[in-house]
Amino acid sequence: METVLQINNLSKNYGNLQAVKDVSFNVNKGDVYGILGPNGSGKTTTLAVVLGILNANGGNYQWFDEPFSKLARRRIGSLIETPNFYPYLSLWENLQIVAKIKDAPEKDINHALGVSNLLKRKHTNFGHLSLGMKQRMSMAAVLIGNPEVLVLDEPTNGLDPEGFAEVRNIIQSQAKEGKTIILASHVLDEVEKVCSHVAILKSGELIANGRVGELLSTDETVYIRSERMGELSQAIKDSNIAKNVFADDEDLAVILNTDLTSSDLNKFCFEKGFSLSKILVKKQSLEDQFLQLVK
Amino acid sequence: MKKLLSLEKIKALSYPAFKTLMIIHFLLFFIVVLAVSQIHFSIPGFSVKGLYQFPNIWEYFPWVASWFNIFLAIVLITLVGNEFSFKTFRQNVIDGLSRNDLIKGKLILIFTIAIYTFLMVLIAILIFGVVFTKDYSLNLIFENSYLILIYFVQAIGYMTLGLLFAILFRNNALAIILFLIYFPVESILRLFFKAEYRPYFPLKIISNLTPKPEFLTIASEKSFTNADGVSSLDFSEMGILPKDLPLGITLIMATGYIGFFIALATFLLNRRSL
Repeated sequence: METVLQINNLSKNYGNLQAVKDVSFNVNKGDVYGILGPNGSGKTTTLAVVLGILNANGGNYQWFDEPFSKLARRRIGSLIETPNFYPYLSLWENLQIVAKIKDAPEKDINHALGVSNLLKRKHTNFGHLSLGMKQRMSMAAVLIGNPEVLVLDEPTNGLDPEGFAEVRNIIQSQAKEGKTIILASHVLDEVEKVCSHVAILKSGELIANGRVGELLSTDETVYIRSERMGELSQAIKDSNIAKNVFADDEDLAVILNTDLTSSDLNKFCFEKGFSLSKILVKKQSLEDQFLQLVK
Repeated sequence: MKKLLSLEKIKALSYPAFKTLMIIHFLLFFIVVLAVSQIHFSIPGFSVKGLYQFPNIWEYFPWVASWFNIFLAIVLITLVGNEFSFKTFRQNVIDGLSRNDLIKGKLILIFTIAIYTFLMVLIAILIFGVVFTKDYSLNLIFENSYLILIYFVQAIGYMTLGLLFAILFRNNALAIILFLIYFPVESILRLFFKAEYRPYFPLKIISNLTPKPEFLTIASEKSFTNADGVSSLDFSEMGILPKDLPLGITLIMATGYIGFFIALATFLLNRRSL
């Protein structure tokens, strides 16, 4: 598998504050890689360092198995934090600057404006756009030069639900084209719907990374209650039916193994001689999973 | 180079404040030289016309234009400061320019503005000179014409100092205020040094590239030069004003300072986060 981005023990300090601590992970070609974390967890700082905007205090990174170079930059389309363009220039002029920097043909400008649904506004000054349109303009700039990799930091920031869906569609269509996408977000739903892999940051540290399905599974949790809770818990633990069993207030929370349902659990309890006074099935939300991880 | 020039062209020429400031610069220069040309002294034996005649005009016009070079430096600070305020330097780097490209782009802009002001002063000199000089020859016209090249270096000097201030303070208002304050500050600082060291300060060196013309000698309709060709109305010769360094040394030192400003600006831009 070809590695697009390799981050090794990256650290970045702002004075005494360590914003990124010894972070390492790899992004492979074709991955849609989410960087997930609460505000202030170091997502933007990590991306700003690997894009050469901020200087690292420790560690290193490589793009396309080489130290970051001018040529590598042109293979990457990036949107970091807020859209940064000249407010007194029109969308067309702003994208003309981007196209010239990337050595991209001017026809890319119309295409990018079309994809971002801004073609009708191409002569409007950037400063006159709403926040949502500015964000879409950033997406247009990212697409100029048909980059192999898209680095998107909170691309749906400030967007209304319609804009949110539009940007998500753009990302998904780019992913379908086989582009590698690195997406930093604190919106779980966005990561779940778009990403194949995820790295979770908390206070600048990498606390988990891997496939979204593995890290943020939405398994069903079955809440049961019986008079003999201790014995029931032990019986379930001794069997092979559950991935995890834990006390939740007065209930016993059971995360069943794949392919098993609450009926199977009910049957198991009946066969073992436990009568249940409660059986409730809840799908564990992504948010619960995420909060458990970053707690 | 061509790419960076075209980028700077889009950024500057579409910026309304840049266009306004450049028009004001142009008008101010022409208003001053036109207004002074209309002054009539009531002192017998003195006329302002001498300032507008070849070869004196090569000294006088660059000196007048040099005051407006400070204005050009402020224009430059505004353009560079905007890149920090709008975070567009950051975006340019994200899109594929290196930090050295950012500096090169601004140096190209400085060079282009310096060429503009050089041509403006050159054309003004040729027009006013021809109008005000009665009998002129090619030799007379181009005598002292090298002074305009020195004016060109001075324009670059002020603008590179402006570039350094803009990169150092990253804020338009702060950089402009501190740039303007630096003028009196350096003058005061110079007083703390022995007289022989005073001409070597950066602003003194750059401003001395276009020294103040000897107005009394030029405006006088009689000759006030002695047998050695030195003006007897030269206040430096009289010991009233301190003597400046020879122009050649001033030019070399100014070039050195320009190099230093550029190197420091490049170092700062590479060292600090965008």
